Amino acid sequence: MKQKGESKLLKYLDERIRLRSLMSFLLDEPIPGGARWAYVFGSMVLFTLILQFLTGIMLAFYYGGTPDHAWDSVNYIDHLSFGGMGVGRLIRGLHYWGASMMVILVGVHLLQVFLWGAYKKPREIMWLVGVVLLALTMTAAFTGYLLPWDERAYWGTIVGTNMIGLVPIVGPILKSAIRGGVGLGALTLSHFFTIHTMVLPSMFILFVVFHLVIFRRIGPAGPYKGDPLALEARKEFFYPRQVLMDAMGMLAIFLVIAGLSLLRPPGLESVANPSNSSYSPTPAWYFDWIFQLLKMIRPEILGVVGLPALIGIVLVLLPFVDKRPERSPFRRPVAVLVTMVVLGAMMTLSVQAERGFKKLVSLEPRSVARGKLVFRQSGCIGCHTVNGQGGHIGPDLSEEGLVGHSEHWLVVQFVQSAAHFPHSPMPSFSYLKPDQLHDLAQYVSSLGRTGWPDPTK
Amino acid sequence: MSEEVVLRMGVPVLNEDGHEVGTLEKLVFSETERKITELVVRDLASLKRIMISQVRSIFPHSITLARHGTLETLPVFDPTEFEEVPTWFFPPGYQIEIGSLVTLKPADIREMGEDAACSRREFMARTTAVVAGLIGISLVVPIGGYVLAAAKTKISDHWVPLSVSINQLPMDSPVSHTFRAVSVSGWMRVPVERTVWLIRHSSPEDPMSLPADEKLGLDSELEKQFSTPLLTVLSPICPHLGCSPQWIDDRKRFICPCHHSIYELNGNRVSGPAPRPMDSLPVKVGKDGDISILYEQFAIGIPKKVRLA
Repeated sequence: MKQKGESKLLKYLDERIRLRSLMSFLLDEPIPGGARWAYVFGSMVLFTLILQFLTGIMLAFYYGGTPDHAWDSVNYIDHLSFGGMGVGRLIRGLHYWGASMMVILVGVHLLQVFLWGAYKKPREIMWLVGVVLLALTMTAAFTGYLLPWDERAYWGTIVGTNMIGLVPIVGPILKSAIRGGVGLGALTLSHFFTIHTMVLPSMFILFVVFHLVIFRRIGPAGPYKGDPLALEARKEFFYPRQVLMDAMGMLAIFLVIAGLSLLRPPGLESVANPSNSSYSPTPAWYFDWIFQLLKMIRPEILGVVGLPALIGIVLVLLPFVDKRPERSPFRRPVAVLVTMVVLGAMMTLSVQAERGFKKLVSLEPRSVARGKLVFRQSGCIGCHTVNGQGGHIGPDLSEEGLVGHSEHWLVVQFVQSAAHFPHSPMPSFSYLKPDQLHDLAQYVSSLGRTGWPDPTK
Repeated sequence: MSEEVVLRMGVPVLNEDGHEVGTLEKLVFSETERKITELVVRDLASLKRIMISQVRSIFPHSITLARHGTLETLPVFDPTEFEEVPTWFFPPGYQIEIGSLVTLKPADIREMGEDAACSRREFMARTTAVVAGLIGISLVVPIGGYVLAAAKTKISDHWVPLSVSINQLPMDSPVSHTFRAVSVSGWMRVPVERTVWLIRHSSPEDPMSLPADEKLGLDSELEKQFSTPLLTVLSPICPHLGCSPQWIDDRKRFICPCHHSIYELNGNRVSGPAPRPMDSLPVKVGKDGDISILYEQFAIGIPKKVRLA
């Protein structure tokens, strides 16, 4: 420690709260074998968790957790701007993409600990606490999904809670307890909001503290190979080299999250509509593989209950069953092979699931705006209702963008409706130019997905 | 190092003749060579430095030197030249038994070029601070804007037509008029009922036809522009602490029931703790006598009339 140049404040605090020894306890943590880039993942997970806390608190500032306010308040957040900067959408984007990144990083962290054999004696309890944190992360992802109360949220949660209902004996009562009744409603939303913003954060804090306390008590596992004496000789403090590496890792993940939030802000579909029978719900991408697997496993109960139970049992029992002290992945071929197979299967299933989903037309905002004009000028509103206005001869198009028709299908529909519906009374709009048909298809695809009124004006 | 060396602090240090010349006090560890290079021995006078090459044998109970006589000629140990390090800093093979928790390494890095060594550490510390600062600023700025975004919502001047004609109002006597309005709260439009005092003046020459706050020059451009000697509209909110002054017809005064601020017909404060007159509001009177007002709210408790967003 440098003696010169220390500020008076530092001296003052040191005399009163023993700051220097506290800092030394926090920073002078010995790392066997020295600092490494491989050790940054735990810190990155912690960083995304803190980012989720911060942005989550910010979202709660403007969120109304009842079905008659939730969607409007999220739409309000999306339109909040300060000095021309869309801060509301940015904060929501950070929370949205932060969740995805946290799931990925938790997965990478778990995988690394597994491959490096770092869960072995004496780190079994730390591993178990980590498994709890994994469960908390997935629960947070599941409960946060409902909160915007749009179509995707509503129908995704219908399916998710129905799965819970399949659990034998306790399932039905568990499902009703979580939903707060038979169907999804005000109580479901307030239950999910409370779990997401009160129960889970407090449990996160508790278990992260457990995780870190155990980590500091027992020390880092260090590299899986190397002579203990040599590692001892290359021992390094946590500060400054590992701290810098961790900070770099955090900056990298922050840049990724911020970039995604700016380039691909999260959408908001039309408000949850329990009477919409045409909506096909899709899970968040990290549940894709479970979604796909459930299609294959019969009876359902085996997949719904068996799969998570199997994952849980394997993760919990792992350090107690695999007691060999060997840590190197190169000398644990079975473990590595099983990991590869499981990872490969998860990826294949996810890709299959994504392929199975109806692809919604990707929107160009300018084209959508031009299409809106075409829609008005061509008199579509005479027969079709959009957001409560228009005629009733044709179907209501308020959520047409969520049905998943391709642009080609829509253009054929405009020009020759009878090709899809033989007795359709819809006139042909063949006089529209190809550009106009494209714009019109874009506008119709945007219905139920974008273009919500700005409540801040 | 194959065999373990036990260095127990405080054990006697003997010279080649077997006489005790001092006790082991500290060890000097060279960071660059990664080994213990010197012993620090306390003799009667001071702490002395002895090169490890001058040590013949090290046992847990005693250390024997390869020299005769006392330690007088040896260099004196100067603690300012050294930095303390924890015991695990020593290389494997040395068993440091804690008798003295103080172990030291020489500031040999300084001799080699202290600037180079320290600036590396300093560089890492600064880079970490810069990275943390970058993340911090790029979070704090949008979060700050986000928190302030709702506070900075623009005031929209919304004229409210009242369902009363000026011709229906009594002369020189305030009427409490209630009307429906919409209050914007975040994403919500909440219907509310609001009340204002309407005072029709019999003559433009009457001094009471000029609102006291206009006379005192408290009004904004907007309020000055929409003011008429025919009609005064007063806010029902007492500028003292926000209670509602009531018109007492017997005394021809507005009296606030909370802290007894007393105002005249034109809002002029006669007595009481209020810092300014009652607030007059912008008003338009149409040709056929219809009234529309702009409902404004002002900061309470201050002498100036400051409009609230």
